[in-house]
Amino acid sequence: MRSYIIKRLIYSVIIAWAILTITFILLRVGPTSPVDRYILNIAAKGQDVESVKQAIEARYGLDKPIIEQYFIYMGNLLQGKWGWSFSASMPVMELIGSHWIYSFQLILLATIFAIVLGVGTGMLSAVKRNTKFDYAASFLSFIGISIPGFWLGLMLILVFAVYLGVFKTYYDTRFPIWSLENLKQLILPVITLGTGELAGYVRYTRSAMLDNLRKEFVTTARAKGLPERIVIGKHVFRNAILPLVTIIMFDLGSIVFGGAYLTEIVFGIPGLGQVSFNAIFANDYAVVVAVTLIGTFLVLFINLATDVFYTYLDPRIRYE
Amino acid sequence: MKVAYLSDDRMTGGTVLEVKNLKTWFFTHRGIVKAVNGVDFALNKGECLCLVGESGCGKSVTALSILRLFDSPPGKIVEGEISYSGADLAKCPVEDLRKIRGKDIAMVFQNAQSALNPVFTIGDQIVEQIKTHMDVSKDAALQKARSLLSEMSIPQADRALKMYPHQMSGGMKQRAMIAMSLSCDPGILIADEPTTAVDVTIRAQIMHILGELKTNRKMSIIFITHDLSLVREIGDRAAVVYAGKVVEVAPVADILRNPAHPYTIGLIGCLPDISTELKRLPSIPGSTPNPIDIPTGCAFHPRCPKVMDVCRKVEPELLNISDVQAVACHLYDSQGSTK
Amino acid sequence: MNKGLALFLKKITGPFYINRRLAKYYLDRLKKNKLSLAGLGFIVLLALVGIFGPLFVKDPQKSDFNINNLPPLGFSIQESVYDIKTDTFTTKVIAGRPDHPLGTDSKGRDMLAMLVSGARISLFVGLLATGIAIFLGTFIGVLSAYLGGWADNVMMRFTDVMMTFPFFLLLVLIVFIFGPSLAIIVLVIGLTGWTGAARLIRSEALSLRTRDFVTASKALGASDARVMFMHLIPNVISLVIVMATLSIPGVIMAEAALSFIGLGDPMSTSWGTILNAGQHSLDTAWWVAVEPGIMLFFTVLAFNFFGDGLRDAFDPKADI
Repeated sequence: MRSYIIKRLIYSVIIAWAILTITFILLRVGPTSPVDRYILNIAAKGQDVESVKQAIEARYGLDKPIIEQYFIYMGNLLQGKWGWSFSASMPVMELIGSHWIYSFQLILLATIFAIVLGVGTGMLSAVKRNTKFDYAASFLSFIGISIPGFWLGLMLILVFAVYLGVFKTYYDTRFPIWSLENLKQLILPVITLGTGELAGYVRYTRSAMLDNLRKEFVTTARAKGLPERIVIGKHVFRNAILPLVTIIMFDLGSIVFGGAYLTEIVFGIPGLGQVSFNAIFANDYAVVVAVTLIGTFLVLFINLATDVFYTYLDPRIRYE
Repeated sequence: MKVAYLSDDRMTGGTVLEVKNLKTWFFTHRGIVKAVNGVDFALNKGECLCLVGESGCGKSVTALSILRLFDSPPGKIVEGEISYSGADLAKCPVEDLRKIRGKDIAMVFQNAQSALNPVFTIGDQIVEQIKTHMDVSKDAALQKARSLLSEMSIPQADRALKMYPHQMSGGMKQRAMIAMSLSCDPGILIADEPTTAVDVTIRAQIMHILGELKTNRKMSIIFITHDLSLVREIGDRAAVVYAGKVVEVAPVADILRNPAHPYTIGLIGCLPDISTELKRLPSIPGSTPNPIDIPTGCAFHPRCPKVMDVCRKVEPELLNISDVQAVACHLYDSQGSTK
Repeated sequence: MNKGLALFLKKITGPFYINRRLAKYYLDRLKKNKLSLAGLGFIVLLALVGIFGPLFVKDPQKSDFNINNLPPLGFSIQESVYDIKTDTFTTKVIAGRPDHPLGTDSKGRDMLAMLVSGARISLFVGLLATGIAIFLGTFIGVLSAYLGGWADNVMMRFTDVMMTFPFFLLLVLIVFIFGPSLAIIVLVIGLTGWTGAARLIRSEALSLRTRDFVTASKALGASDARVMFMHLIPNVISLVIVMATLSIPGVIMAEAALSFIGLGDPMSTSWGTILNAGQHSLDTAWWVAVEPGIMLFFTVLAFNFFGDGLRDAFDPKADI
């Protein structure tokens, strides 16, 4: 297993390199060079265009051949010099550092919410197959995966904040992260982000449980005289988790980050999604690139962690 | 109906399990699958009763029905009685059934790789069973597990305890499964085709183990198979099953020498004899009926060489034709003479 | 070349036409699923509205501030009007009017017209972008499975890298770089969304590749391209159809999300754009946020129901 982990690590590094390279290509292939974007903004602020242009070109080495630019770019990124955000007037790294926690808390809480409710409902659904509970759960999960997340957020705000006044319509950053008030104002965003995830988990868990419920070792477990709750809760569940873990982690990468981005914008939570959003309209490309890269590397890390975790969970792979 | 008992002095321990007119039906949207449709037999102490029949005849479902292990939304015991220790297992509450499962009556299955849970070690799975039924410490349970594995001739029992099913060979897995079933010292063991999925050398080992269980532990065994040679090897008595019904019950020697039911005769006739020269392997014409659509009257009548008019309309009862043999066939009346 | 194309198309549709019993079998299975038929019905309706609707409604871009913030027909809203002369606020009740049955937004644009325009765009983007993505995915998947060896390896590693980018973040980055026009959006969604299809189709093709009919045709001297197009692809068609149908909702949501955060095509009115406007008038004109969301929701739901029904109909193991 150790050699497998090392192989995966090396592979991840290669993917990381490929990600950075692709991003570089995208940036250089684009119709407007990063310089032009800065120029637009600088010109708007009334500074001397020519000298700024020269300074930028020198800094980013844009006058050099593209291969050299590539190495400078890679060098900068690896050293943590991720550029300057002129719209926020601070290094990009600092901007990220002060805002990542808001995204993190949202994603963490939403995922916990989705896993606990989703997997739980899925398990019950599988055990109570074809009963009213099952049909209701299936139907609701269909609705859950079809509802546009950002619209759900708006509707929740409309009902609970505008009409019922239970929550505020905006996110207040005065409250410390670990306070109850902060938790309270995160309720609607967590529900918004978590619902899509949750609906998916209900369906996947139900299907994984059903697949395993018809396996022979379940009959053996019952033949041993084990109480039904142990048969389901221990024997079936422990086998059903295996594909579930992969799916949950995969969802995290493909859907949750996008969903978090939109949720932050709807609720005004100052996380990285909001930061990127503001940067787009200020033409602050370094920030947009940075947020994209962070999201991507997180997914890479999560994929690696999932692979390792999975080999640990499944003894058939752990002991070849 | 009276079930035949052995008159052999050796085996007068008495009846430990009796199945009367058992019917287990599966209610599906395509129709009712009458997998078990009138099974009668009795199991005596210390004997090995073989349930013999082709695939799909209902012998496995019969075995599952004793401990009610079949899938219960579609399946249901619609009729019949399973007498064990003064209780009717067909009707008693599931809680009582759980106390018997794995403790008084244990079961081993055909395919050890799929019957064992792949994510837990063998040791864990055995200890789990012990601790469910007996109030002992984990260490004591592990000790017992270790000694059981050794008893099954599994080498390096300590290491084996920590192994996962996929790490063991086919024979080892099967023996580990048998060891697990014995962990609470059951009096009855139901073995559902335990040698079908393994090769010949392992088969010999397993059959040897089962034989030892009979002699050393005085266990009663229900052995399910389609292989008549195994019946002769280990069986004391045999019950032939066709289309969910027991059509003949007799001691093994009698059934092999003087089969009474045309189906049994046909089955034995299918065994190729090495001393004669054959151009074609003999077989019984026709095919086994679909449990959704069982023929009226005697289920075997479409294929029976001695079919009579009454066979098409009336189901024959299982009647004794001698002290030790019983048949369900219109050819015989209760005196044992052919009509 | 044309003959080849015709033959290829015939090969794809042929099995359903020639073997009518098979086609009827699939159709019967599909018909049993009432929900999926309802979904199909809604889709057809939406298509009709999208194609012919703009002929019958007003101009969605025409703003008229005199009639802004009109509620839908049958609803009324209270508005506080400040009267300079008396220095007081009086509440006026404004009711919906039949000539603007779904109301108007804050700039006085007719909601019904905008929603119809949005339907057209969503369908256009949905079908076209999905077409590109599925086409790419199928092509890469089949090619990869068929060639095997290092070519397969390289293509799958590339797919891995593209899959690591969180879908929405990548979309945002590319639209930011290349500019928000409808063409770009369609292309971008198509060029980034092919990864899931490629994976699934590749594994399906892999299991087909080892089948005897492929070996037989190669033994008869068929070229690689011929085997791929004439044998492998027609056999994965049912999977492709299901994947395409189930991908459309994701594409529609992606376009709506982009428009919602302001990265949509400024020249057109899509449901996401309306939602963007509605976000700020939740208390004064709630219908601007509610209506496009309902449309989005039902469209996605319809495609999900229909796609699910298709998948069950094609799957020989599903018990219908």
